[in-house]
Amino acid sequence: MPLETEATAEIRALVADLRPDDADMLEALHRVQHRYGYVSQEAMYVIADQLRVTPAHVYGVTTYYSDFRTTPPPEVTVAWCGGPACRLKNGAGIRDAMQAVLGIELGEDTADGRVGLVAGQCNGSCEQAPQVWVGERVVGRLTAARAVTLARALRDGADPASV
Amino acid sequence: MAKITINGTEVEAEAGRRLVEVIKEQGIRITNLCYIDGLEPYAGCRTCLVDIEGGRPTSIQLSCTAQVAEGMVVRTDTPEVKRARQGVMSLIMANHPDRCLTCHRRVHCQPGEICLRDDVVTHRCLTCSKNYRCELQTSTEMIDMGEYEEPWVGEVRSYYETPPPEPDRANPYLEFDPQMCIICTRCVRACADIRHTGAITLSGKGSSTAIAFGTGGPVHESNCDFCGACIDVCPTATLMEKPNKWVGLAEEWTNSTCNSCSVGCTISYGVANDRPVIVRPDRLNQFSRDQICVRGRFHYDAVAENQRLSRSLARRGERLLPVPADEALAEAARLLDGVRREHGGGAIAVLGSPLATNEEAYLLARIARDVLQTPHIDFSHGSIHRAVQGAIHDALGVDRLPSDLTSVETAETIVVLASDLEESHNVAALRIKDAVVKRGARLVVVSPRWGELVPFAAAWLQPSPGFEAAAVQALVRAIASDASQLGEPVVPRGVTASSLESAVEVVRAAAASDKGFAVVYAPNPVDAAAAGDQARACANLAIAARGQAAASSLHYLPTDANVLGISDMGVGPAANGMAFSQIIEAARDGRIKALLIHDDNPLLNGAGSDDIRAALEAAQLVVIDSVRSTTAELAEVVLAELPFFAKDGTITNADRRINRQRPAGVPRREERDGVALLTALANELGGNFAYADAAAVTAEAASKVAGYLPYEQVRSGRSRAVGAEATTQPRLQAIGAPAAPEGDGLRLVVARSLYTTWEGASMRSEEADKMHREEVATLNPRDAEAAGVRSGDAVVLTDGTHEVSVSVRLDDGVAPGTVYVPHYYDGGAVMSLLPLEGTAAASVTVAVRALQLA
Ligand code: SF4
Ligand code: SF4
Ligand code: SF4
Ligand code: SF4
Ligand code: FES
Ligand code: FES
Repeated sequence: MPLETEATAEIRALVADLRPDDADMLEALHRVQHRYGYVSQEAMYVIADQLRVTPAHVYGVTTYYSDFRTTPPPEVTVAWCGGPACRLKNGAGIRDAMQAVLGIELGEDTADGRVGLVAGQCNGSCEQAPQVWVGERVVGRLTAARAVTLARALRDGADPASV
Repeated sequence: MAKITINGTEVEAEAGRRLVEVIKEQGIRITNLCYIDGLEPYAGCRTCLVDIEGGRPTSIQLSCTAQVAEGMVVRTDTPEVKRARQGVMSLIMANHPDRCLTCHRRVHCQPGEICLRDDVVTHRCLTCSKNYRCELQTSTEMIDMGEYEEPWVGEVRSYYETPPPEPDRANPYLEFDPQMCIICTRCVRACADIRHTGAITLSGKGSSTAIAFGTGGPVHESNCDFCGACIDVCPTATLMEKPNKWVGLAEEWTNSTCNSCSVGCTISYGVANDRPVIVRPDRLNQFSRDQICVRGRFHYDAVAENQRLSRSLARRGERLLPVPADEALAEAARLLDGVRREHGGGAIAVLGSPLATNEEAYLLARIARDVLQTPHIDFSHGSIHRAVQGAIHDALGVDRLPSDLTSVETAETIVVLASDLEESHNVAALRIKDAVVKRGARLVVVSPRWGELVPFAAAWLQPSPGFEAAAVQALVRAIASDASQLGEPVVPRGVTASSLESAVEVVRAAAASDKGFAVVYAPNPVDAAAAGDQARACANLAIAARGQAAASSLHYLPTDANVLGISDMGVGPAANGMAFSQIIEAARDGRIKALLIHDDNPLLNGAGSDDIRAALEAAQLVVIDSVRSTTAELAEVVLAELPFFAKDGTITNADRRINRQRPAGVPRREERDGVALLTALANELGGNFAYADAAAVTAEAASKVAGYLPYEQVRSGRSRAVGAEATTQPRLQAIGAPAAPEGDGLRLVVARSLYTTWEGASMRSEEADKMHREEVATLNPRDAEAAGVRSGDAVVLTDGTHEVSVSVRLDDGVAPGTVYVPHYYDGGAVMSLLPLEGTAAASVTVAVRALQLA
């Protein structure tokens, strides 16, 4: 029987109202990711226990959705929009520029854990295409050159709110 | 029944059955890489395509999802079908190595050839551990992939373009090499739907889909319990047994029986070079069927070959030295004969083993009775068994329960009293989970600590150690029509009111219904007095719920494999004979001068290690064993015996099925099987035994012991040695109040754990638990805090006199005020904290002291 610790008790409280067989798995994962930025092993155990499934089951669901992380998030997450409007306006160039500067692919974090690059889906603000989201903030009407500047600044530790 | 036509032949089959199963039963070879017989189809691999006349939208259909219907016309052999299957297979093979399939020399690779890799082929191809025993390989052959436009030439073979994922070789049982995986998900479904464990999942999606264990880490960090069900169904080399992985190609198969617990799962040994190299479940035992546990699958490999006795030993001064077999035998006989002449047969005691075969037990009992003429014969756990049997006799009027374990699977309500049934009797726990998951049975678990069965239970009663019987008795009280025979109520300490309420509700409903009801009882291996009360309480529950039919509802699972069989065969004190603890006392005091011990190890199994050691040191010992057990170390003579897997004979499991053990090995040097050794020893002592082999013993035993059969009539897993019907009315009985604990330390819970082997523990081997998972005492965090210890700390458990060093793991599953120590930890070290049996173990308390590191 897994040991209850302060950390697991906190996660348990977060999902305490969710019930087995009630399609609550995604809700549980969202809550955990929202609070901690990722779904830890510990959280998977607690969710499994709460929803009466196995930890492997939770892991399977977690890894199915690219939105969920199983490792702590980087300090800044840059979501690159892969939607059609952005693509038409050189989205691919923006992506390449950012990848080159940061030295990582989509879905990866920089080695120092500072910046992560993920693929995002169109959020409807296409008038600002091509765009990325720094945290939850849209940075739009990018050019490849601006993308390079942005990536450099983030890489070198600039405050994400100011870039 | 429906009539269908398969490849032009008319076949009768049950309507609605999965077509693929019917096709296979006809002996028609058909690829079906993702189907598991008996489970719902997954329809993922598409290799089972057949032609079904009139099928919509096309006649090419999956035979695993298709269901038999009257008049169905099926063809498995049309060019279109073959072509379709080849196409599908080429997609599967695109992400699989084709080394075993396309190596241009593969048909030449016979022993002695030089292989592609410039290596001499010994007896197999070197490229894949599953070569020649691989379902995927056979499947490609079945549909002539070799003829399929030069297989895979010019196709994109993603396998060779992506780096292979890392194999997981970190545990001693299961090797996971995902580069071979074809994502058929059979393992996922076997683990979830057959085992109810759910340790495996599909992770990711699309082309990155992969098999993962637990939360994505190594297998041993998941909740996998290494039953190997996934190995059995994996069609590739992805999931393989780690021991003998590369030599597991069996030359022949021998069906036999696991002797690691009383479920008695029937198994098949794959034998190569006269040693088992692989184990598969054998479906003969109708209860275990296609399932076994980690012990049945891997215990043949528990002890390294060079740790087994291949020569007999005799004491020469301080040391035990190898001597010729005849010399050892003569010396053993001289020793026993000397004592017999000087002090009479009554100065000799005989100890048998619940892991021995019925035949060995029969001979041992005959030696005691007819040759040595001593009434003192028993085994370390004899009193526990007799306490249970006595309680059952008094309650139900039978010596042998007629109950059949398969009825547990169909029961509507199941009450389990065990320390942790999942660990002690794994496949029995599995069948109970089956009943809960597949048939909606309601389960009540009574156990002082959490076990894997608990999440399946409608109610879990967690009594303090010693109050297990009282907890069950509380349920009896709630449904018995006449509680006056139940004695004074004992409050089951530790049991919460709410859990008791839920459990009472479950048994009330069961008492009011006439559907199946099962009480499953597995006694702990340490305490006869407690076992008697627990058995009484369980019998009471069966009687209160089922009256006259109670005996069919009560299931008694002894800890060890053949407790029932050896007891039937006469291993137990004769009139005026001493029981185990008395034998130990007598030996310690010099009244018993010599002990003949066959496969038992009192130092491992008996409570009260100090007394036992003193007794074994005082008396002269003749030991027959296949390993140098801690008891053998004290012997004058040790006769080298063949290991259990090389024995011929029968064993009687918990529901009295007579199961055959068949030899899967031959002597390496001078070791002999138990029957031969006991016969020879008897004859040296003037016994005139004329048994050529185990069959001859069985034949005689069958004529003397009721219910037993000669070999020709034994149907392993089906024949049952059940006794006479009850002549008395079922009778409720009172139980005693548990002895009050001495002192205010922690109460000790001792039970059989899952992984540690008898043989390894018997030798006190460091590899007894190859995963080192059970080398801990489990403590409730509250007590740990009070004692100032943290998880992982080394501590000393002490009753004031004896000490056991062990590290602790904190776990909410043990109740505050208790500490759980696996029985087999460190060769049964915990037994030193318990008094010689007969006194209530639950009254023992121990203190935990953090070990001060110098
Ligand atoms: S898993 Fe089977 S098909 Fe694949 S390489 Fe090994 S033997 Fe061949
Ligand atoms: S060995 Fe058994 S428990 Fe472990 S993953 Fe395989 S089926 Fe599941
Ligand atoms: S590990 Fe074996 S059984 Fe599991 S999906 Fe892969 S090939 Fe199939
Ligand atoms: S359940 Fe018992 S008999 Fe069956 S394999 Fe496991 S230890 Fe052996
Ligand atoms: S396509 Fe990028 S925001 Fe809509
Ligand atoms: S066996 Fe039918 S699809 Fe796999």
